[in-house]
Amino acid sequence: MFFYVLWNYLIGYVVIRVEGLSLEKFINLTVSRGIHLWGIDRQNYTTLTAKISIKGFRQLHGISHKIRCRIRIVDKRGLPFILFRYRHRKMLAAGLILFLFIIYGLSSFVWTVEVEGAEEINPQKVLSELESLGVQAGVLKSDIDSLWIENQLIIRIPELSWASLEIRGSKAVLRVRESVLPPVLIDRDTPCNVVAAKDGIIDKMIVLDGQAMVSEGQTVKKGQLLISGIIEHPNTIGVRYVHSMGKIIARTWYEETVELSLKEPFRQRTGRRSEIRYIGWERFKVPYMKEEVPFLDFDLEVKQDGFFILEIYHETEEIYWERNKHKAKQMLEELANQKVRKKIPMGAKIVDKKLKYDMIGSEKLIAVIYAEALEDIGMQQDIAIH
Amino acid sequence: MRRKRLEDVKANLSDLFELPREIMLNLPKISMVGNNQLLVENHKGVIEYTPQRIRVNSTVGVIRMQGADMKLKNIAVDDIIITGEIRMIEFIG
Repeated sequence: MFFYVLWNYLIGYVVIRVEGLSLEKFINLTVSRGIHLWGIDRQNYTTLTAKISIKGFRQLHGISHKIRCRIRIVDKRGLPFILFRYRHRKMLAAGLILFLFIIYGLSSFVWTVEVEGAEEINPQKVLSELESLGVQAGVLKSDIDSLWIENQLIIRIPELSWASLEIRGSKAVLRVRESVLPPVLIDRDTPCNVVAAKDGIIDKMIVLDGQAMVSEGQTVKKGQLLISGIIEHPNTIGVRYVHSMGKIIARTWYEETVELSLKEPFRQRTGRRSEIRYIGWERFKVPYMKEEVPFLDFDLEVKQDGFFILEIYHETEEIYWERNKHKAKQMLEELANQKVRKKIPMGAKIVDKKLKYDMIGSEKLIAVIYAEALEDIGMQQDIAIH
Repeated sequence: MRRKRLEDVKANLSDLFELPREIMLNLPKISMVGNNQLLVENHKGVIEYTPQRIRVNSTVGVIRMQGADMKLKNIAVDDIIITGEIRMIEFIG
């Protein structure tokens, strides 16, 4: 119905008054010729008002002759008549066109540049790099070659592993993912030491080059020298510098704590609800039936049917469910395992795992997981030779 | 007589296959919303129209509506929508 009215308004219609003696005949004849009539209202025995489209009105000539009635226009409604009224106002039309051009023109530029996902690296650095690649406020959108810029960015900023440049309206949004940089490799010809990357007890040592400074079964601290690149032989006077290498497999320990509340919050609808009805599309909507929403905690349900949007606000309240202790333990174990696995590096092997549960008060259960792993803790480090 | 039998066959057929009767038998279909809107489908022209009385022709005879402030909201080749206060509908054979 709404679209029907809107359509009629857009194509324009006239309100006519028909004066004559056989008005029913007029209606029948008009309708049988396929001319649409609506809003027919009989004023008195000889007069009738009706609405008719502009096109239909032009076809009425023959009918008025045949039936012998007088047809007069009472009102002209709709867009075509409004446009007709303004036909001499050239500047208005010029302004409209200018406005459209300005809107179109301005929307073809990038006005803001945003970086999403930069956590470790400074977004400012990415922005300045983008600027040097030609992405900044005031640049034509069509000049931006997203694919090329993405590739260039990944090449120029080694900390990035992935970049995606997307233009949303007048905004250029760059989404990035950072990569974990590989450890610095030391050239085979430069002498170096191997030190411990973390605390642990040495399980096995394979020294390929250099002099072992520790032995199996020994506890080492982070940063402790494991294989020295400086070899001093008692038999020879000279000191040899080598590029020490080796595998130092050590037992390392990881500890993680996870906790879980035994009382699980649960939101439940109370049954009270309010509705707001909108007409429109997505964000562009106008409410036409509005009920107050007198509650703070609610669940929002949105239903859309064509251009009609219905928002239902269900009032909710928080209820606590008592969690099963056995189940909670299982959940905790899973959580703890996940958490500890994240911490342990890729190459490490988990040898042993222990879980300990503890209650805090009567509502919280905590689990501490101890994981023992075997991993290579050796890390090459330059020797400062004076 | 023969015509009557044809009509009977058609009526039986439309019952059997659950086809709309108004199409099979070419009958007018009248639907009302409360007492203030009335839709006549498959009409055969307006005979009389005043705010108090409307007569519409159909295949089963004249349908007469009486009421007050009645208007023809919409009229097309085969349907009429009448709005206003409708008090009575009558079939005049």
